[in-house]
Amino acid sequence: MNEVHSLEAVVKDAIAQANTTSELRAIEHQYLGKSGELTGLMRGIGKLPPEEKPKFGAAVNEAKARLESELLSRFATLKKTEQASQFERERLDITMPSRQTTAGREHVLQQTINKIKRVMGSMGFVYHEGPELEQFRYNFDVLNYPPDHPAMDAQDTFYVSDDLLLRTQCTAFQGRVFEKLKPPMRCFTVGRTYRNEAVDRTHSHTFHQIDVFMVDEGISMAHLKGTLGAFAGQMFGPDAKVRFRPDFFPFVEPGVDYAISTERLFGGKWVELGGAGMIHPNILESFGIDSERYTGFAFGLGVERIPMMAYGIDDLRNFLENDMRFLEQFS
Amino acid sequence: MKLTESMIRDMVMTDLNAAEIGDLLTMTGFEIEEILEVEGEPVLDINIMANRGDGASSVGIAREILAKDKTSHPTELYKKLTSNLHTIEESTNTLSQLISIEINTPDCTRYACKCYEGIENGDSPGWLKSRLEKIGQRPISLLVDIANYVMIETGQPLHTFDLDTINDRRIIVRQANPGEKMNTLDGIERTFNSENMLICDANSPVAVAGVMGGETSEATASTKRCLLESAHFDHQSVRKTRKQLGLHTDASYRFERYVDPEGAIRAINRFTELLEQATNCNTIPGILDIYPIKPVRNSVHVRTDRTCQILGMEVTADLIQQYLSDLGSIVVRTGENFDVTPPSWRIDLVKENDYIEEVGRVHGYEKIPELLPIGSTPIGGTHGSEAKIDRIREELLRCGLNQIISHSLRDSHPLDADTKRVRVLQPHSPEMALLRNSMLPGLAEACLKNGGNDIHLFEVGKVFSQGSEVIQLGILSIGNFGTKSWENCTDQVASFYSLKGIVERTFQSVNCDFKITAPQHLDPRFHPSRQASIAGSGIFGQIHPDIAEELNLPEAIVIAEFELSEQVLVASSVGKYKQVHRYPATKRDIAILISKEINYEQIESAICNACGDVLEKHQLFDVYEGKGIDPGYHSIGIALQLRKQGTFTDEEANQVRDCVVSALELLGAKLR
Repeated sequence: MNEVHSLEAVVKDAIAQANTTSELRAIEHQYLGKSGELTGLMRGIGKLPPEEKPKFGAAVNEAKARLESELLSRFATLKKTEQASQFERERLDITMPSRQTTAGREHVLQQTINKIKRVMGSMGFVYHEGPELEQFRYNFDVLNYPPDHPAMDAQDTFYVSDDLLLRTQCTAFQGRVFEKLKPPMRCFTVGRTYRNEAVDRTHSHTFHQIDVFMVDEGISMAHLKGTLGAFAGQMFGPDAKVRFRPDFFPFVEPGVDYAISTERLFGGKWVELGGAGMIHPNILESFGIDSERYTGFAFGLGVERIPMMAYGIDDLRNFLENDMRFLEQFS
Repeated sequence: MKLTESMIRDMVMTDLNAAEIGDLLTMTGFEIEEILEVEGEPVLDINIMANRGDGASSVGIAREILAKDKTSHPTELYKKLTSNLHTIEESTNTLSQLISIEINTPDCTRYACKCYEGIENGDSPGWLKSRLEKIGQRPISLLVDIANYVMIETGQPLHTFDLDTINDRRIIVRQANPGEKMNTLDGIERTFNSENMLICDANSPVAVAGVMGGETSEATASTKRCLLESAHFDHQSVRKTRKQLGLHTDASYRFERYVDPEGAIRAINRFTELLEQATNCNTIPGILDIYPIKPVRNSVHVRTDRTCQILGMEVTADLIQQYLSDLGSIVVRTGENFDVTPPSWRIDLVKENDYIEEVGRVHGYEKIPELLPIGSTPIGGTHGSEAKIDRIREELLRCGLNQIISHSLRDSHPLDADTKRVRVLQPHSPEMALLRNSMLPGLAEACLKNGGNDIHLFEVGKVFSQGSEVIQLGILSIGNFGTKSWENCTDQVASFYSLKGIVERTFQSVNCDFKITAPQHLDPRFHPSRQASIAGSGIFGQIHPDIAEELNLPEAIVIAEFELSEQVLVASSVGKYKQVHRYPATKRDIAILISKEINYEQIESAICNACGDVLEKHQLFDVYEGKGIDPGYHSIGIALQLRKQGTFTDEEANQVRDCVVSALELLGAKLR
């Protein structure tokens, strides 16, 4: 029995003396493990008289339990200190430059287009794609342009042949949709348009437009205003307000230009965004749509205008020049 | 068009200040570009819409203010200048002895004139000079200044000829003979074609109708006798001539936007009044007026309920009647509906909707509420191949490619596809005369622009060739993915195989059937032994070294070009779910030496056949050739991951491996 007590004292002392967790692990191994000295004492139990065996066994187990708890608590203490210094060693300078993941960056115009698609899609408008190389009739005739309208001049439009041109407006998709669908319709497109213009900070021969229209029974300018309000609210913030001003486009009557105002983006100033109006009854009738029963609205705007206003971009040329120093600013 | 505040107040009495008048005009469709302060007086710069020529005068602007602002009143001058009562008809005997008029073109529908004698064409009175100067016009002489001023007041362009320069005192209005020449007022010799309308005397042209007078016939300081022209010329004819000659004048500005033919005489009378006030001259009685066909305007039925329905706001029949009458229409009311005849100065009023717009803009668009449409709604957003292309764009971003968007009008380029390009008839410059037939030139330019290395780009857009317009995906990839890091991580470098991975993910992302094969015809833009194709869609691989050199780009650039049409993006049938076994997997690695003649596809299919269903995954983890390996051979390491219903024993796994080895030995492989 004495050997149990003296061994316990030795181990206890060793535990107390240990300065590192690895020393403690060694002590555990030497005395308390499967082949440790304390466990070894158990093996001598056979030589004891039977009446002493239980007492001896209990003494060893008790000593072992006390030592294990001692060891555990010492271990916890040492680990705490060791970790503290480890963590100190491993301290990172969180101001060092990050490592960028390799996911690509979406073009700022695409980001805008995606948002437009989400917003219009959520209001039940279906996306339609139209050709950029468009027939004269879809770009002009079908849209109620009088023959000889100034916009048709070669100075303003890129012609490829007498009846084929680069569309000057995405509104050209309207006629193509009217040929395929019957009311009620809610449709939109986003795409590239071309004008024969010299390029400078605010002009480009190539730019992008969104064009939206809807035809149903009882559609009024109030629905146009409501839809534009909802669209502007999503694009520019919930406080966006819409204002109509009379304007003239051959394909709408009444025709308006609409302006948006928000406190946050424009400081309450009205910023003109695009043209809108009630689809001209001549157009509906030319596609066999009863213009007494059905009315419709249409609106359009330049895609570039949106990031230009949101980010204060003042040079239109940036968008199609693909300078990464420009593009990487938008994510 | 510019008007001073006092020019407006000559016509309308209103409590509104200049800024408020500006706001009112903007909201009624005559946008104020800016209000300038000139010598202490506000000057409004007003934008006149292409179909609203009636607004290009102080009378027209006053009419809009009077209709919109109920507290304003017309002045006596306004009433006089808009009155339909002409001054008492005078005998034209003297006048017709003095001058004759002939109209030989349908584009002139009215030609009126009057003559004045004994004129001293000196300086204009101070008030007139000052008003013209404030709106940016240079005073010239009494006759010219009054003519200009009356045009600003009434919208009717007037021209003053020196009567003594008119040969035989005959005025002939006709189309020009091709090649006919005349010097215009600005001293420039102009050559005309048959689309140009001219005012001529017995011998030669004296003015370009509606655009500008001739140099020799204009009223000058020495002019004693004056012929005043007040005519109506077709707006499209004037526009054509103005564009062709590049001659913007105040007259052409108004004629292009339509001038009221009924206003010709009122303008002459106003001119006479102002001339007589300013100087002593002998006004020859009467007006010669050739006006063969008065335009007839049809009435249109306008309904109150329809008006309210289109505008989306309530407007009473009384108000509709008042608004339309205020703007000059003749309104005949039957109950809640009207038959409306437009005024002579408004050719834009043709259909019911045109009048509904008039009601709307006078009543105020700000009163229209915001409503969301109700009714059946389709499933919004993109569908079909458009939705797939949206999905593909996302996948390419995940692959680490940056999206670019570039011009489609460009020059020819070594990376153009082998299809006939579409040419624009009147390009700005040769550099933008052709529509792109491939995305690759734009990608190569963007690559160069951004340093030519460590850049990974894609673009999705339209490409064009004779008779076709399709959506194409282009990819360009070179160098490290991601920025080099101080962390010393191993960088991924672009290669044929990294591009192959991107191509696979592109088509997999939309569940599309595709097979990568050797191209049937070599594409000369690509490295001849490093290109692969997806039949019907396109090609990818390393750029041809010669083209890389020509473009000053690194040789290692890999590029891809795929059509993303509906036919290409056909979805494969949805595969059935494969059960996920709950037993552990076993791995076996195999290293073999094999001839490079045997391509990996053969090795892969031998492995798959040998293992059967238990092969969960296999991965090529090492390829080595060089020292210690016979030329023409390489050593490859393949890891097999096996799994089945039940635990694999070592023995079973070894059996599978041995099967694989024997299958590979049939291909001539040796176990290493």
